Amino acid sequence: MSYSDKVLDHYSNPRNVGSLDKSSSEVGTGLVGAPECGDVMKLQIKVNPQTNVIEDAKFKTFGCGSAIASSSLATEWVKGKTVDEALQIKNTEIVKELSLPPVKIHCSVLAEDAIRAAIHDWKKKQAPVDELARAEAR
Amino acid sequence: MSIQTSNSSGTTANGAPFRHLNGDGVRDYFAFFRLPRKLDLDLAQLEREFHQQSRKLHPDLFTQSSAEQQEWSMEQSSRLNDAYRTLRDPIRRTQYLLRLEGLELEEQSETATEQVRASGQAKKQIVPEDLLEEVFELNMQWEELRMNKKTGDSDPALVRELEGQKVSLEQKQEALLEELKSYWVEWDALGDTSPLEARNRVTAKMADLLNRRSYIRNLVRDVNAALEN
Ligand code: FES
Repeated sequence: MSYSDKVLDHYSNPRNVGSLDKSSSEVGTGLVGAPECGDVMKLQIKVNPQTNVIEDAKFKTFGCGSAIASSSLATEWVKGKTVDEALQIKNTEIVKELSLPPVKIHCSVLAEDAIRAAIHDWKKKQAPVDELARAEAR
Repeated sequence: MSIQTSNSSGTTANGAPFRHLNGDGVRDYFAFFRLPRKLDLDLAQLEREFHQQSRKLHPDLFTQSSAEQQEWSMEQSSRLNDAYRTLRDPIRRTQYLLRLEGLELEEQSETATEQVRASGQAKKQIVPEDLLEEVFELNMQWEELRMNKKTGDSDPALVRELEGQKVSLEQKQEALLEELKSYWVEWDALGDTSPLEARNRVTAKMADLLNRRSYIRNLVRDVNAALEN
């Protein structure tokens, strides 16, 4: 299979590889796996508590070239967006941007899932303690 | 699935008729050994039946028979062997029963993975979520190991750690087998007349456990490969 130039670019020169402090209250971590192939992807975001803007994003993916490119692109896209804007990112946009063939769609789904998981994790951390306690009491 | 043939009909211990044809209309492996479709098998009985039937199908008994009959006996013997090997093994037995019950399990095998990579079709395999963390960690260590190999470094501590992971994965595999057995008991307690939801709940549980098990088995395989080369 031949990868598009954009995939190759992200693959050979991935942006934002690395990790953020998982325990920080400003950091959300998403860890997801592709049922189709067993690949795993971790994506982290760092959110400004005042503005809800994602100021930094890092990823580490063990998987195919498309998965690496998708997550690399995802970190680029989420940076500078608010969490709500970032939630709007669809895997189909990743497919389009990277010209992924149909067989590689699940790789982009993984990236979308990772964004959602990271935001979900961050939101959980933001929920005021008393609200959490109330939710648990219910 | 409810077709009954006169020569092979039987009843379960509680008197309910059990089904004994697989999807192709062939007698299923359980019926082959006159066993009900239960999972907690009496292995001694299975073995006795196997030997008894093997004797009946022994080629020596057919030397005077027509070519047709000889062929029939050969076919039956090979089916008998398949049936025995399938039912004797706890995992294969469970997989077989689930297939009879209409559940398709897919192996997270290397070939299956490659096929999926090539075809892009979704494989019906769920990633055990609680395992993701561990899978990620393992991948990190493999990467480090590969880097070491490239630079000619060796890191005995890392190798030891991976070996430890391997042991813990193998223990998980064992634990899953025990858990699976607890569902055998549940399944066996159900009869043909039990509500479909009850049956489906148990088969779904078993399918889930088998998936987890094959996922872990593949991780063990990968750890081994990483340690070897
Ligand atoms: S092939 Fe699995 S994520 Fe791309």
